[in-house]
Amino acid sequence: MKRVLALPYLLWMVVFVILPVFLMIYYSFNDMSGNLTLQNYAEFLSSNYIKMTLNSFWYAFLITVITLIVSYPLALVISRLKHKTFWLLIIIIPTWINILLKTYAFIGILGINGILNSVLEKFGLMKIQLLFSDFAFITVAVYIFIPFMVLPIFNSINGINKNLIWASYDLGASKWEALTKVIIPLSLEGVKSGIQITFIPALSLFMLSRLVAGNKVVTLGTAIEQQFLTNENWGMGSTVGVFLILFMVFVMLVTRTKKESI
Amino acid sequence: MNTLSRSFLTVIIIFLYFPILYLAYYSFNTGGSMTSFEGFTLDYYKSVIENKALMTVIMNTIAVALISSGFATIIGLFGAIFLYLIRQKYVKSTLLTLNNVLIVSPDVIIGASLLILFSIFGIKLGSTSVILAHIAFSVPIVVLMILPSLYQQNSNLVLAAHDLGASAFHVVTKVLIPNIKPGIFAGFLMALTYSLDDFAVTFFVTGNGFSTLSVEIYAMARRGITLEINAISTVIFVVVLTISFIYYFVSDKKIKRGKTT
Amino acid sequence: MTEIRLQNINQYFGETHILKNIDFTFLEGKFYTILGPSGCGKTTLLKIIGGFVNQTSGDLYFGDKKMNEIPANKRQVNTVFQDYALFPHLNVYENVAFGLKIKKVSKVEREARIKEALRFTNLTDFKYRDIEQLSGGQKQRVAIARAIVNEPDILLLDESLSALDHNLRVDMQYELKELQQKLGITFIFVTHDQEEALALSDEILVMDKGHIVQAGSPKDIYDEPLNKYVADFIGESNIVEGEMLEDGKVSIYGRAYECVDGGVKSGTPVEIMVRPEDIVLKPLEEGHLNVTVDSILFRGVHYEICVLDEDGYEWVIHTTQKTEEGKKVSIYFDKEDMHIMVPGEKEDEFNERLELYEGIL
Repeated sequence: MKRVLALPYLLWMVVFVILPVFLMIYYSFNDMSGNLTLQNYAEFLSSNYIKMTLNSFWYAFLITVITLIVSYPLALVISRLKHKTFWLLIIIIPTWINILLKTYAFIGILGINGILNSVLEKFGLMKIQLLFSDFAFITVAVYIFIPFMVLPIFNSINGINKNLIWASYDLGASKWEALTKVIIPLSLEGVKSGIQITFIPALSLFMLSRLVAGNKVVTLGTAIEQQFLTNENWGMGSTVGVFLILFMVFVMLVTRTKKESI
Repeated sequence: MNTLSRSFLTVIIIFLYFPILYLAYYSFNTGGSMTSFEGFTLDYYKSVIENKALMTVIMNTIAVALISSGFATIIGLFGAIFLYLIRQKYVKSTLLTLNNVLIVSPDVIIGASLLILFSIFGIKLGSTSVILAHIAFSVPIVVLMILPSLYQQNSNLVLAAHDLGASAFHVVTKVLIPNIKPGIFAGFLMALTYSLDDFAVTFFVTGNGFSTLSVEIYAMARRGITLEINAISTVIFVVVLTISFIYYFVSDKKIKRGKTT
Repeated sequence: MTEIRLQNINQYFGETHILKNIDFTFLEGKFYTILGPSGCGKTTLLKIIGGFVNQTSGDLYFGDKKMNEIPANKRQVNTVFQDYALFPHLNVYENVAFGLKIKKVSKVEREARIKEALRFTNLTDFKYRDIEQLSGGQKQRVAIARAIVNEPDILLLDESLSALDHNLRVDMQYELKELQQKLGITFIFVTHDQEEALALSDEILVMDKGHIVQAGSPKDIYDEPLNKYVADFIGESNIVEGEMLEDGKVSIYGRAYECVDGGVKSGTPVEIMVRPEDIVLKPLEEGHLNVTVDSILFRGVHYEICVLDEDGYEWVIHTTQKTEEGKKVSIYFDKEDMHIMVPGEKEDEFNERLELYEGIL
């Protein structure tokens, strides 16, 4: 009985989860005319792609670190507010606005005649091209990821037994010591989830680099999009995809939370 | 709550809302750009409504979201019940891991691999492929939203139902499903959000002139600034804000009522 | 060292008046128990002493030092929390070391003190265990070790035994009492469990609705409760209404009985309390009151017998004497076992009256 009803689900799992991964691996060994080859892997391991991968990692790393630096204190502050669910909602609401719309807004803000430049001008500074730069790329990415990072961190801070913090004061800890010796260690799980949620997508953002970075930032995502949709070289695109999957698995293993490992 | 953390919170909230309000502000600009505000107009709202192509895209987006979330909820519901009823720990954790693959995968990977899949099965790129893709990435989300509510209910419930002579079918339809309605609803809503918000997957698997709002905005934005986008964005923001606050105050009241009784 | 003085402490949470004009002095080196039902303010009082809650008004002194503005981390007080509040990311040793590391105690001294604290609490073998692996009783002991290793002047214990099962709780009661005697520091223990309070304390503070109703040694409070509330809260009791006739004479149901209390104006309505274990069963007509046995429960060491007197009042008796349900007997108690309470009497008036008539009648 339960098998019959679960059939669509199992079918989904085979067709949309397992099969696509294998197809991608299979395609990564194909050249553009459909012959089996190792050429794609050879090309990926060439200096150009390695450079691009390192580049992509570097940007993903920067984005993750900056997002974390902003989000951790933010989550901490919210967890101490009286109406914390309300303030959390305020932080979450922007995520319901389509990501493209928000990116588009930054085109206006950062543009050469945009508001940021007119502010700079008022202070007697030179107009600078903020849009189509790695600065724009990182700013917009951080903007997008902050709420996603805040949520898991807030949840884990909020889940800490208040008595533990009282206990640390009781044992002589200052507020700072309570933060560094109790709250931060006990919210690491949330930080890990936040890093997962940020780092992996940050490796693969392609529309951001197209729209606000003016292709100055080439990520693994940009490469995949380019190979699949512009060059129509699905084999090379799949090869990059396979590596992206490997990196993803690696990040997942590194940031694996306790609950998952049991 | 000291001044430092208060001002930090304020700064971040301004940072998060500034772009959205910025868009909204210029949606009323007769000047036609996002640089200098020249005068107030509702022209762009009018032109959105009159723009047949754009309205089609909006309708497409809503239709794709509703259809894909509906299917995903049904598939995901039975998937979740199936996972819930599995006894062997190893099988269960393997299936759960497979379930989560699409949640953690970057959008480009999902988009690219589904593009390959559809081309192999000869599915024409367009509305069908987009809906299928949206069902594909919504199913695991629905499962994850429903599973906790299954585990929350008293496990003796199923035993009691069996004990009272219910068949397996009845246990599922008369006992399990009515008990997890909120979880099912939450799953559907979550699937809806993911679908409405998706850009990358749709971008990969769409074709044949079929477009959703995200893809359309991307195309428009690459062509340059048009204040119609601002108008759409403002409408979406107002809708989201209204729904969020209604939701917050309704659930807040519920909690408060629950406390006093 | 330190005595703790509370002067006219009041605490409000919003509109709710949690503590009302609390005046009390905790002497050094004694085991105090604050006893009361949930919501009586006992935990709030403890939190004020610990520095986790700032009193709305009133003063707190440790010795001569006013503590009102001193935060928790600067007080020579440590707390054993109700849920132990052990740090789950640290093991037993690290939990115990936490306070000493914060205070930058030298490594040699730190190791010595941790070793001593672990030995004191029989935890030496569990030094490197994770908190999750410990049983309830072990967690309790880690919480105590973590507190006493700091050599506080005062140890606060918030319902610290309530999470343990019965047998373990009894064992821990002995350990706590012994520990307090060895350390010689002040223990302030909060509980709602009267047995625990009686077994552990040098002095009990009975609280109700934000007031300290009565304070005294367990024996005083048990034998001479101030009023019906205290009598009911501590131990079981039979309370009947009566009227004071003169010093040493009280009337119950219109009949005069000899008693050992005095100092109450003639004609004052009073309540007479008799403990269940002080009542003796006698053949019909030979005791004070004729009763019918209503029910008998075997309680192990004694029977708990409920009897109804001729006016329909129920009496509870703890006795090893045998009887049968439905049997008509009579009950008797010595005059020393009758305790007279005057409704509305304040604690100091009560104490004065007791002192005056102690041993006279």
